[in-house]
Formats: sequence, C-alpha cells, structure tokens
Amino acid sequence: MMPSIEGVFAVVQTEWIPPSVDISVPSMARTYDFLLGGAHNFAVDRALAEQVERVMPDARSAARVNRAFLGRVVRHMIGQGVTQFLDIGSGIPTVANVHEVAQAVDPRCRVVYVDKDPIAVAHSELMLADNDHAAIVHADMRDPAAILGHPETRRLIDFDQPVGLLVLMMLHWVPDEADPWGLMATYRDALAPGSHLAITHVTADQQDERLTDVTDLIKDSRSADQLTERSHDQVLALFGDFELVEPGLVGCAAWRPGGPGDISDTPEMNMVIYGGVARKP
Amino acid sequence: MSQPAPAPEPRPATPDGARARDLLARKWTYLLSGVAPTALTKDELESALRAQLDALCSALTADRFDAAAVERIGEHVVATGYVGEDGLRRTVDVLGRGLPALPEFRSGHAHRVALGIGALATGFLTANRRAVFEQQERLQLSLLKSVRDAKWHLKESEARFDEVVTSSASGVAIADLDGRLVRTNDAIGDILGRTAEELTGASLFDFVHPYTVGMLREAMRAVVEGRQDRVRQSQRLLRADGDVARISLTASLVGDAGASSHFVVVVEDGTELMLLQNELNRQALHDVLTGLPNRQFFGTHLESAVRRADPVHGLVLLHLDLDAFGLLCDSLGRRAGERLLVHVARRLKSVVAREKAMVARFDGDEFGVLVESTAGTPDIATIVAAVNQELAEPLYVDGRGVAPSASIGVVRGGRDDDPVELLRAADQALRRARTRRRGQWEVFDPVHDLAERSRQELAIGMPGAWERGEITARYRPVVRLADGGAGGVEAVLRWDRPDGPVGHERCVRLAEKTGFVLPLGEWLLGVAGGQVAWWRRNGFTSPLTAALTAHQACDADLVPRVVRALDGCGLAADELVLGFPARVVTTSEAVDNLGVLAEMGVRIAVEDFALGPDDFAAARDVGAHAIRVAARWADLGTGVDAGYAAALTAALRDTGATVSVSGVTTAAQAQWWRRAGAHLATGPFFGADAPAGDFRATPGE
Repeated sequence: MMPSIEGVFAVVQTEWIPPSVDISVPSMARTYDFLLGGAHNFAVDRALAEQVERVMPDARSAARVNRAFLGRVVRHMIGQGVTQFLDIGSGIPTVANVHEVAQAVDPRCRVVYVDKDPIAVAHSELMLADNDHAAIVHADMRDPAAILGHPETRRLIDFDQPVGLLVLMMLHWVPDEADPWGLMATYRDALAPGSHLAITHVTADQQDERLTDVTDLIKDSRSADQLTERSHDQVLALFGDFELVEPGLVGCAAWRPGGPGDISDTPEMNMVIYGGVARKP
Repeated sequence: MSQPAPAPEPRPATPDGARARDLLARKWTYLLSGVAPTALTKDELESALRAQLDALCSALTADRFDAAAVERIGEHVVATGYVGEDGLRRTVDVLGRGLPALPEFRSGHAHRVALGIGALATGFLTANRRAVFEQQERLQLSLLKSVRDAKWHLKESEARFDEVVTSSASGVAIADLDGRLVRTNDAIGDILGRTAEELTGASLFDFVHPYTVGMLREAMRAVVEGRQDRVRQSQRLLRADGDVARISLTASLVGDAGASSHFVVVVEDGTELMLLQNELNRQALHDVLTGLPNRQFFGTHLESAVRRADPVHGLVLLHLDLDAFGLLCDSLGRRAGERLLVHVARRLKSVVAREKAMVARFDGDEFGVLVESTAGTPDIATIVAAVNQELAEPLYVDGRGVAPSASIGVVRGGRDDDPVELLRAADQALRRARTRRRGQWEVFDPVHDLAERSRQELAIGMPGAWERGEITARYRPVVRLADGGAGGVEAVLRWDRPDGPVGHERCVRLAEKTGFVLPLGEWLLGVAGGQVAWWRRNGFTSPLTAALTAHQACDADLVPRVVRALDGCGLAADELVLGFPARVVTTSEAVDNLGVLAEMGVRIAVEDFALGPDDFAAARDVGAHAIRVAARWADLGTGVDAGYAAALTAALRDTGATVSVSGVTTAAQAQWWRRAGAHLATGPFFGADAPAGDFRATPGE
C-alpha cells in the first residue's frame, strides 16, 4: 500500500482556522460595539448583549462611559506631548477610536492597534487601508515580543520617545494564570520615560450581583473570552512603578469628566469599570 | 390643513435671539452626549450642533420651506457619532420644545416648526439606516476577509508541508528561524524517540550532538543571511534513550517571496527507512488519537472476515455511539473529550480481548467492534452487557468522574452477507437504538429495515407531492355525543398516491419526520380556515379543530404561522381549537406558544390524551379548553379498565374542559363514551374524512 500523507497531517495540523472566525460564538468586541449603538455585529453578539442588558439594564451607559474615557485620555496624553499610541485590545474600530480622536487633534499622531480577533483585525485593515499613520497588528497581548517586535509597530512607533499605551477593557479577559502583572511589566519596561499608560478594568468591588450574572452569561455563551474582575489593589498593581496622575484609579466616569457624555445616570455604571492613567518617571 | 402656513419673518438673530440659540444648542448637546458615543469633545459637539441649529432656523424662516435642506441637517446630526434612536428621541424632544420658544418663532409658527422637525427626523432616519447598512456590509467584508486570510494561511502551510512530505518518507519538521520546532511529523519523533508534544516548542539544536551542533547553527545562520541556499549535513542526533542516531539532515527556507519565516528540516536515516515506511502505513490505517484501526482499515478487515466466517457461528458487528459526547466536550473541553475517547478505546479492547475481534474508531465518538464468533463466543446480550459494564466504570477528568453510556447497533452476519450492507445495517440499528433512549441497543431487523427505508422514501417525497397537488385538505366531522349534532370540524390531510391513498395520521407522522409538517400544517390551517369561514355563511357555527404534532407545538414560529393563517382566511381566533400533544404540552416551548395563542383567544386542546395521571396534571396545569382522548383508548369502555376510564372522564369534566374522544369506530364505543360523560367524538363511525364539497357542514342537511 502507498503511504498516505494524511496520517502525518492528522498529527501536525492544529489551529488552521482560528476558532474566533466561528460566528456562532459571540465576540466581546462586537458585543461591545452593539452596546455602543453600532451595527458591526452579528445576531449572536446582539443576543448576548440583550441578555446582558436584561440583567444589567444600563450596560449601554457603561460602554459609552468607557468610550468617553478613551477620548479624554488620548487628549490628555497629547497634551503631555505624546504623539504615538499603542492600543492593545482595540477590538472593532468603532466610533471615537484612538486614531480618530488623536489625529483630529494632531494629524501627525501615529497609532498601532493590536487585537487577536481575526474579524476585528480584518475590519481594522479595511478601515485603515488609507491611513499611513495607523496600523493593526494581529497578535495576542500575552505575547509581548510579537507585539513590540512586529514590523508595523517598529515602523510607526519610536520606543525612544514617549508612547501612550492604552490597555482598555482588556485585562479582565486575561486570567490570573496568564500573569497580567508580569505582562504589563514587560510592556512598561519597553517604554521611554514620559510615556503614559491607561488602563480600564472591570471590578467587582461594588459587590454588584448583576455583574456576577453578566460573568455567568459570558461563561455560558461559549465565548473564548472569560471575565476576571479584579479589586482596586489588583488593578493598581498593573501600573507598577508608574506615577498615577490625578485623580488616581477611580470609576472611569470619575476620571476628569468634562460633560454629561462622560458619566452615566446610573451611579453603579460609573463605578463598575476602574480607569486610571499613569506616567513613567 | 390645506393652506400652507405663511413663512415667519426672516428675522436676523438679535443678541437676545443669539443667546437663546446658544442655550438651546447647549441643552441639545447635553442631552445628546448622554446617549451618543462620539469622537467630539463636548465643546466641539456643541459648536457643531449650534451650526446645525442656525441652519435649521434659517431653513424654517425661509420664504419657501425646503424639506431637503432640513433633511441634510438630520444627516449631519447622525454623522456626529453613534446617535441612534435614543439620540433622535432626545433631539426631537429638545427641538420640539426649544424651537417654538425662540424669539423668531414665538409669534406662532407651530406648523413650520412641526414640518421642520419632521424633515429633520426623515433625514436622520435615512442617514442612520445608511450607516447601519454600511457598518453591516463592512463587517461582512471583514468576515470574508478573515476567513480568506485564514484559508490562505492554511493553504500556505499545507503547501509547505505537502511539498516536503510527499517527496520523502523521512522525518520532517518545521522550525522557525531560531531553530524552535513548530511542527514535526511522527517519523522524526521515532528517530529521536520522542513524542510530537515533547518536540514542539523545543529547539532543534537541543537534539543535536554537542560536537556537531555548532556546525549546524553556523550553516543555518548562513542560510538566513542569504549566504547559502540550503543546509545539507551528515549529523548526529541525540535520542531520548541516550543513543546517537546518525542521519543526514537537509534544511531550507520557506515562506512568501522575500519574507521567509521558517525552515523545513528533513531528516533521513537509511537504516530506519523501512521502519518509517511501516509507520506511515500504520498511520494511514489507524486513528491517531486512540491508536485503533480507522474506518477504512475496519472495512477491509470486515471484507476478509466475512469471507472466512465460521459457517455456523458467523460474526457479530457492533456499531457504538457515545451518548451525550458533544455535551461532555462542551462542558469539560475538547481535551477531556479526547481523553475519554482513548479511555473508551481501551475498555472496548478489553471487553473483546478473549475473542478474535477488532475494535475500530469510526468518526468522532463512534466505534465499531467486529467479533468473529466461535463456539465459545458469548451471545449478543452478554457482549453488550459487558460493554456497558466496562464503560460504566468512570474515568476521572479534572476530578470529575465521567461514565459515558453508549447506544449500540448490532448486526449478525455470515458468509453470504455483503460487508457494505452489514455496515449499513449496523448503522441503521444504531440509529434506531438511539431514537429510543440513551444506553440502548438494538439488533438489526431486516423487516423493520425495509419498512424504515420505504418510510424514509415516502417522507422525502412529500414536499414534491404537495407541490403537485397530491396532498389535499379533508374534513372530519366532530360530533356531539349527546344528540349526534355537529360539534365542529377537524382539518385533516390526505395524500393520493398511485398505490392508494395515505390517511391523515400517517401523513402527519411522515411529515413530522422531515420537519415538512411545519409549512404543511400552516397551509392546512389556512385552507381549512377559509373553508370554515365560507360555511359560516350557511349557518355552520361550530369551531375548526386542528391537531398539532410535537414538532409544530414546539415550533418557535407557531404563533406567527397561526396569525398568518387566521388573517388569510378571516376566521376569528376563538373559532379555532388547536390541539397540543399531551406529551409535549408542558415543555417550555409549547407553554410559550399556547400562552400567546390563548391570549389571542385561540382555544387550546390537549391532544392524544392518554388518561394517565401525568397527562391529567398537564391538562389541568395548562388550563386546556378541551381534552381529546387518544384514539388508542377509544375501545377502553369494552375492556377491564372501563371503571377507571369512566372515573377519569368524570374528573376531566370537572376541570371544565370539553372532553372529546378520537378514533371511535363503533356505535357501542360511541354509546359507552356518551354514558361516561364525554362531550364530543371523532372517528370512522361518524363518517370518512371528506373533501369540502361532500362534507355535511350544517346539521340536518
């Protein structure tokens, strides 16, 4: 009998098709877009969002408040002289994304987005096709070397100059086993003095049982992403020895709000996500 | 209003007017930013809205009202961010109150303002819809792109591996530019005496003899730097058992033009060549995970086993399928599932260890067992019991004991049998075992199989027959037992086939098999509804009854289907009695459906009522209007259970439901049920299912 190569392939072929292209499974990026009011989503994402809204009726405002935080932070960093941004876990480039905000203030701003969801990456590529100053890198934040060493990162970001590192609504998808603190230390080490780091992170400090319900919903949704809420101290530790700017690590609505768009009418929604910005001395 | 409103005075914004607009724009900004994510700062948004407000005011004060200009303002508002319905609501609200209060409009230009807000909303909706379409389209494009990218990577990788592996039966590995092994085949594993897991992620250089590793590193660096095309060396590799394997090694770069990313490393060992060949053979015929023969091998083996089968004892073929394997993988993960499969493979081998037997893994969670029987082979029941007993011993996965049960199809074969047919028969028996209950087994029964096959053919032919008009609606009288008067009409099906008609009950069973019952049932309801509505004009006052199947009763679209049918025929909801099968009436899907239908006024019947306590409780719980006793109980009154049935019927009447009996065939049965207290009956005794023209719609006609 002729030897067949199929046997060999059965051994070696793994992860050919990324599971996240499977649109029968909700994606957190697309669900978030739906909560913001966007249409970059599939029925399965909307179904999850609607379930979330059922247990947490004002979830939309939490999404909006986090998005508004992003805008304030980018403008703050530009005010501190930052013109290059690394946005890890950028998701679907929905309304008010980093390059839109940053390049509106200063068209020379350069932005590198990073995401591991292939659909978000493909979407970003389409969107950024005409933008020389922005690019998307397809990588997992758990692989800092791949992100920091990627040719696109190297092309757009000069690590000898201050960088705005944005890790928003991201680290609660990284379980403790993956050592988010160690990962963040690696990223911080790569930055020049004067760089800024912004983090938003879901917390259970308010002991809101609706959040537990949301966590359960996500758990039941077969999504590859699972939520790990963290305490104030745990989130604080992610900033390492960077110096937090005023007002410190707070509910992200309370971080220098500038108008009604920055806060939610539901007080709990202003506190469910911690936000903070810190500067490398 | 027929006269167009006079245009308000185009008044230049006075300082007062300008201040009023500032205030209104600020309020608008405040309300909009509370619901609409935007890239603009509050000040930017405010000045954008202030500009739109100016444009709006001048359009409203113009001599001629220009709706298109105002619609464009709506489009601009959409462009400020994700504005959406909430944003529109707040915009209409703030302008609806604020505009009439501006000095320009104070002297009563309500009509202009209303027109303006309407046009603004129109422009808003148009632009918003376009934005949604664009976003969806972009997302679809992204999806296609990501799938294509993934496929492209797949092709690239396959091509990469294919190229090398087909040209050589040697050990093959893919390594990155630093020598880290990304993929390896089993052959290289055998040369090194290590598994693929041990090799993946390790450095190629760790397996090279210290004396010669420097030479290999240098050569590979030279290739990366373009100083050399490929590496070709006699090398010494370190085996896990401490031996040194002398091999020849080739390494070359692969990747897109100009951007090589990986090495393909080929390792050849002359002395091992034959062994490698054997290994590849084994892989082609065996399942990699469990090491069992695969379906192809099993098939070939079965062919020869049939030829040499013992003329007296023959052979036994078992086809197993693990129950709830998918569920288990979902909850414990794929790796746990794989461990379970390996475990099952071992257990099955141990069950037949004393027999001349082969255990194979088919696809997924299916296994095949072939036992070549001898005088000492236990009978089928004993083998199956042994399998179940072995599997019942739990495997511990993450601290949780998992004991899968299996459904088993069994077929006995001999020299005269066709191996392909045997495999098919075992599969058929398995599927029948599975439809009954988990953990069941079923011996293949040729009569059953024949019936099954002809049933399947019939069921598959139904939609076509319906298209051709072979399936028609018939009307079955529902009779009042007390006086023999018309108590209603039941809509039923009939299929006229060349080999004779197929009656309603069989039609429904067949259509239920394929799911065709859903559209067919909706059609029947519409046609019969129309007919009954027509009869209404001739004094027919009784309701239309339709029995649902389990599938229909739980159909998520049942309510819209019923609404469509009723709308189409003009029958009121309370003129329809819908029967839900007793065995599904308490499932959540059916409860949802019947709740909505009852709310609409449709009368709910519990169909196929079996006179048991569970059915009784179900009928009471769902508050049925009517209870239809199953046809198989029509003859109950003549049997030993008459007293029980009579008592139950009385209890049923006490719930306030109408009690109806199906399948009444004789006068004696009708009389017995009348005495027992049933209200209505259907069945051959009251006449055959009739076409509309022959149905006696009005009593006494």
